[in-house]
Amino acid sequence: MKKLNTDIELLSAYIDGELSPAEKKYIEEKIKSSLELQKELSDLKKLKELTTFSLDKVSESPFFETRLFANLNNQTSSKFNIKKWIPISSLTLVTLALMGILKFNPNLIDDIIKQQKSNLVGFYKENLKPLLYAADLSNEDIFNFAVYQELPLDSTNNQILRLGNDLKGSEFFEIKKASNVSEPNNLKKFVAALDFNEGEIKSIDSIISSYSEQISGLVLVNDKNSVAINPKIWNTRKLILADILAFAKKHASANFNKIVPPEGIQFDNQSVAKWVDKAKAVKDDQYIFCTPDSIFKENFVFDMSEFKKNMENMTKELAQLQNEKNVLREYHFKMDSSFVRKNKNSDWTKQFKVFVDTNLIKVSVQNLAVDLPELNLPNFDSIATVIHEATQNIPFVNPPSPPVTVGKKRNNYEFNVITPKKKAKIEVNLDSLMHMNNLQNEKIRSEQKNRIQDESDEGQSEVYYTDSLIIHQNKELKKEMDNLRKELRKFREDFKGQSPKNNDSIKKDSASDVEIMEI
Amino acid sequence: MDYEQKENMQQPKILSLDDDFSLIKRFIDGDEQVFSELVKRHKEKVRNIIYITLSNTDAVDDIAQEVFITVYRHLKNFRFESQYTTWLYRITINKCKDYLRKKNIRSIFLPLKEEEPVFESVNEDTDIKEIVRNAVANLPDKLRIPLVLKDLEGFSYQEIADTMECEIGTVKSRIFRAREALKKILKPLEKELML
Repeated sequence: MKKLNTDIELLSAYIDGELSPAEKKYIEEKIKSSLELQKELSDLKKLKELTTFSLDKVSESPFFETRLFANLNNQTSSKFNIKKWIPISSLTLVTLALMGILKFNPNLIDDIIKQQKSNLVGFYKENLKPLLYAADLSNEDIFNFAVYQELPLDSTNNQILRLGNDLKGSEFFEIKKASNVSEPNNLKKFVAALDFNEGEIKSIDSIISSYSEQISGLVLVNDKNSVAINPKIWNTRKLILADILAFAKKHASANFNKIVPPEGIQFDNQSVAKWVDKAKAVKDDQYIFCTPDSIFKENFVFDMSEFKKNMENMTKELAQLQNEKNVLREYHFKMDSSFVRKNKNSDWTKQFKVFVDTNLIKVSVQNLAVDLPELNLPNFDSIATVIHEATQNIPFVNPPSPPVTVGKKRNNYEFNVITPKKKAKIEVNLDSLMHMNNLQNEKIRSEQKNRIQDESDEGQSEVYYTDSLIIHQNKELKKEMDNLRKELRKFREDFKGQSPKNNDSIKKDSASDVEIMEI
Repeated sequence: MDYEQKENMQQPKILSLDDDFSLIKRFIDGDEQVFSELVKRHKEKVRNIIYITLSNTDAVDDIAQEVFITVYRHLKNFRFESQYTTWLYRITINKCKDYLRKKNIRSIFLPLKEEEPVFESVNEDTDIKEIVRNAVANLPDKLRIPLVLKDLEGFSYQEIADTMECEIGTVKSRIFRAREALKKILKPLEKELML
């Protein structure tokens, strides 16, 4: 088959007149002896004729040269068009410049990346403050932290910081809402269980409180939403726990062994002291930063003492600021009018005092001479409550203020105080409303009672109102209860009738039950 | 046709070769007017090659224009190592290949059309030429171009090899494969075409 194909390939070249004399001689002899090749040859010839016949030549294009030379002229004129080269040349220049810069300063890109990185790290490291400082950790909190690994962060939002170890043993922390509120007074219970005396209680309190500052310096936060946690916090927790347990073991070993399995605690105060020293030796300049876009470990030194100093200063400043604020609220202004200048002897130069608060504006007029006509007015205090009672359910209406007369007799002048219109607001006193409702309800109830009584007197007990239905049910219940009592009495009497042996055994059984329950 | 006679007919080419060379020399010397003479001589051949290579009349003139513009730009660098026509046809074939490549790429982004079966039945009126032309157009470029250069333009295997920048054995094999493929395509219409 392969040979036949080679022969047909030779036939194809033969009809094209492309064979060497030797090949030509070979194929011609083959054709003579093979009918198959003869048929192939005739087929190929027909096919060649068919293709040659079928493929037409393209029609002439009369304006071909004219178009071509017009195109050529356009091409030559635009050959040196500078605009065409502007993008390419500028791109080349920029590339060359970049290459040059990078050649002389190969670390440029690395430097830029590093700088950006440090900028970002700096951004997140800015203004870090101890998260737990504000939480104001109590000894109870620290005890809970040591034992239950939970630290309260924000008591109002019930948020906690929880440390833990996952299945692989690696540490994790989480800031979350406390799902199950831990029982209060764990420390007190612990102390009570160990039966410490006062001195011991004081010393365990001092041990626990000595860790307060250390813990609060281990979790830092800032306003960039970053949380920095010192990995030391996990060890610190263990240390506190060890410290507490070691103290407890030393001072109340009998009680301690009752609440803590002895095989779990294989250490004393000395070993704890060693661990504390070891833990102190570990550098705490590494913090784990959790930021909104990344988590990284970075060197950071938090100076607790400086922070405390700053906080103290700030508290002082805040107090000062508060004072200044109060002073600022007292605006002083002079009555400077032509009238004042004319009357040098008048008291108009005296000042007002205005006190502004969020919901109060107080104008002090004590230094201002105001002539008020003396009138015999009743004691307003006695009638104030009466007025209050009378007006509490009435929409409050502001009567137009009477004109106020100011100044001395000779130079009186009047001005109207116009109070701004308030939106229609009906003030309703809740107490009085409830009182009213109660009165009404009582009235209705007494009416219903009377009606039911009347009806029962008339023997129409089939008709029930809602309340009467309840009364009816109560009566039935009473009957049932009476029946039950009777049955119970009967049962007791029957029970007494049984043999004393059985009674004893029952008593014994019940006594043993009680004992078991007590254990 | 007697194939022995055909072999003896290939001689007059030398004359045209000399003529092309002398014109090119004059062009290199600065006489750009002779370029129109070169265009006039070869434009129809170039246009035909484009036409039979693409099986399409629409783009013939545009591609031919591009061919001669390229020739004009590079003619001063002509090294007289091969015939001018071989160089010209090589440029032409390359331009055709470029066009086909771009067309294929463009077709990727065009919506698919339902392909109509080419040879379902042949009526008496059906143009045999059209059928064969379609069959040739359906051949792959590699097979179609050497076949049409041979059967229509009468190129020798050597000229085809020079134009397509491949071995003469490759040309021989491709023309054979093209004919075998054509036979297969036209097999259902054997009787009508009297194959």
